[in-house]
Amino acid sequence: VTADAQRKRAMGHVLLFAAGLLVLTAISAGSVHLVNKAREDARKVLHTLEAENQISLVQLQLRRAESAQRGYLATLRPDFRVDFEQALSELTPALTRLSQLISDNPVQRRLISEMMPLYDQRIEEFRTTIELARSQRMSDAAKIVREGIGRDTMKHIDDLAVRMRAEEDRLFVERTTNADRSQTLAASITGIGSGFVVVLAGIAIFLVRRSSLARDQADARLRDSHLNLEATIDERTADLREANDEIQRFAYIVSHDLRSPLVNIMGFTSELEELRGDIFKRIAALSRAQSATPPAPENATDTAEPVLEGSDKQLSEDFSEALGFIKSSIGKMDRLISAILSLTREGRREFEPVWIDTRELIEAIVTTVAHQAAEAQAEIRIDPLPNIVSDRLALEQIFSNLIDNALKYLKAGVPGEITVRGRTKLGFAIFELSDNGRGIDPKDHQRIFELFRRAGTQDKPGQGIGLAHVRALVRRLGGTMSVASELHQGSTFTITLPINWPVGNRNTRT
Amino acid sequence: MNNPVTIIMIEDDEGHARLIERNIRRSGVNNEILPFTSGTAALEYLFGKDGTGLDHKGSALLILLDLNLPDTTGIDILKRVKENRYLKTTPVVVLTTTDDSHEIKRCYELGCNVYITKPVNYESFANAIRQLGLFFSVIQVPPAAT
Repeated sequence: VTADAQRKRAMGHVLLFAAGLLVLTAISAGSVHLVNKAREDARKVLHTLEAENQISLVQLQLRRAESAQRGYLATLRPDFRVDFEQALSELTPALTRLSQLISDNPVQRRLISEMMPLYDQRIEEFRTTIELARSQRMSDAAKIVREGIGRDTMKHIDDLAVRMRAEEDRLFVERTTNADRSQTLAASITGIGSGFVVVLAGIAIFLVRRSSLARDQADARLRDSHLNLEATIDERTADLREANDEIQRFAYIVSHDLRSPLVNIMGFTSELEELRGDIFKRIAALSRAQSATPPAPENATDTAEPVLEGSDKQLSEDFSEALGFIKSSIGKMDRLISAILSLTREGRREFEPVWIDTRELIEAIVTTVAHQAAEAQAEIRIDPLPNIVSDRLALEQIFSNLIDNALKYLKAGVPGEITVRGRTKLGFAIFELSDNGRGIDPKDHQRIFELFRRAGTQDKPGQGIGLAHVRALVRRLGGTMSVASELHQGSTFTITLPINWPVGNRNTRT
Repeated sequence: MNNPVTIIMIEDDEGHARLIERNIRRSGVNNEILPFTSGTAALEYLFGKDGTGLDHKGSALLILLDLNLPDTTGIDILKRVKENRYLKTTPVVVLTTTDDSHEIKRCYELGCNVYITKPVNYESFANAIRQLGLFFSVIQVPPAAT
């Protein structure tokens, strides 16, 4: 899975989440809005009903006033007048209320403004007739009633009232429809929103499943590549081991086969030496014969060097010198070959990991070098050391080489001080071997670990093998080795070895 | 030596062969020395044309054997000699450059009588061979089984 695809997927998740949030918000807002609208619609419907009711109330009061007027005209009883006054007193607030209720509607406002004068006119007519009746002018009053002007006005009022009611009915129908629509809308928005949420949830589930599938696949791939890696490492390790073994065998065979001609060279050089003796003996005899001196008895000169003179003597010496160089070179070559052989043999040896009391091991080494230490006036101090699991022989070789070196390369005339210290760190034991000897120039720090290489004043015998051998051993034991030193300042060799025998160390060989 | 013991020297390096022969002679051993430079030739001589070793029935032999031969290994020759009913009593002296402890052990296991490493130092080499010559002069070699 590439980083790009991963980013895209993450973006997708964020977008999905945002969309879900948006939809929910929209649904909530829509619902709140629609509920408010429905309440408003219901209020308006109520308002319409109230208005209709008020129209009826106004008409009722007018009718009541009219019937009270008729009653009074017929009977002249004051009760009817009281009734009339009461109806009028209720009519006025009812009218006011009605005009308030319909003030929001221009159609109704026009109708009521048309109606108001009619009411006034009608009430005025009632009052006039009642006043006439009270002042005993019944005929005048009856005349007014009979003229029927009042009836027309009344009819007109009823007309207007019907129109108003019709208008209110229209509004009622309209508002009811509105309210219905709002509710339907609210329901459908909720429905659609829920549908959206379900769809989004579905997409989310799909995405989660897809990414978990991708993760499973990645897991499987990771496992596969891990296994592959393990296999590759095993393969490489086997290759390396084989190559190493090959080199060991090669070194062994080469050094071995080099020995065979060396035996011949040495052998025949020695034969030549014998011949040289014979030749110069004869030359001596011949020269003596020439100078006519009596020849020495044959037996007496058999082993002794023949007496030579002048150029013959020079010749003999040159001969000896040449042979001497050949022999010393052969000796050196033999030592080098032996060293390579012993190193390869060491490299082929199997390790036997055992629990080692390091201090005891080093004390034993110090005992064996006590004589050299006494000669060099050196004191070897051993601090407490960590114990480790390792190969005893290898450790002995490592420490005895280092202690030997420390004793060997002390400063002349200065009492030696050699200290072995130890500590542990992260599963490794660190050993430090310090001396106050002649030290090693930093430019030689790598060189001293190389085979057949030495550094500093060459006044001590040695092949340049010890440290190379020690480092090879330390590496085979799974450790590392380093040196810190300055010329004339002493040296400290640091060896880091695993405390426990590392699994997979080259302790077993096939 | 009481019986005319024949010394069979199997050594591919003629220089070594020469040095060995010289030093044996210097120690005063005058027995016949038959040099072979290859394992095949030596085997042919030892076991004869029929490969049974019957030719040497009753004759006294002493074998000087180098392990590093070009055609066969000395170990093979040693093994075949010690497995042959006529030759198995023949003393075998392994004289070689190999000083590997496994190899030495192997040779003794196979019935080698003496194992000598050729020293590069000529004095030691000459000494070893001369002492071997002295050893030859006192060793009792049985005739090959009949």
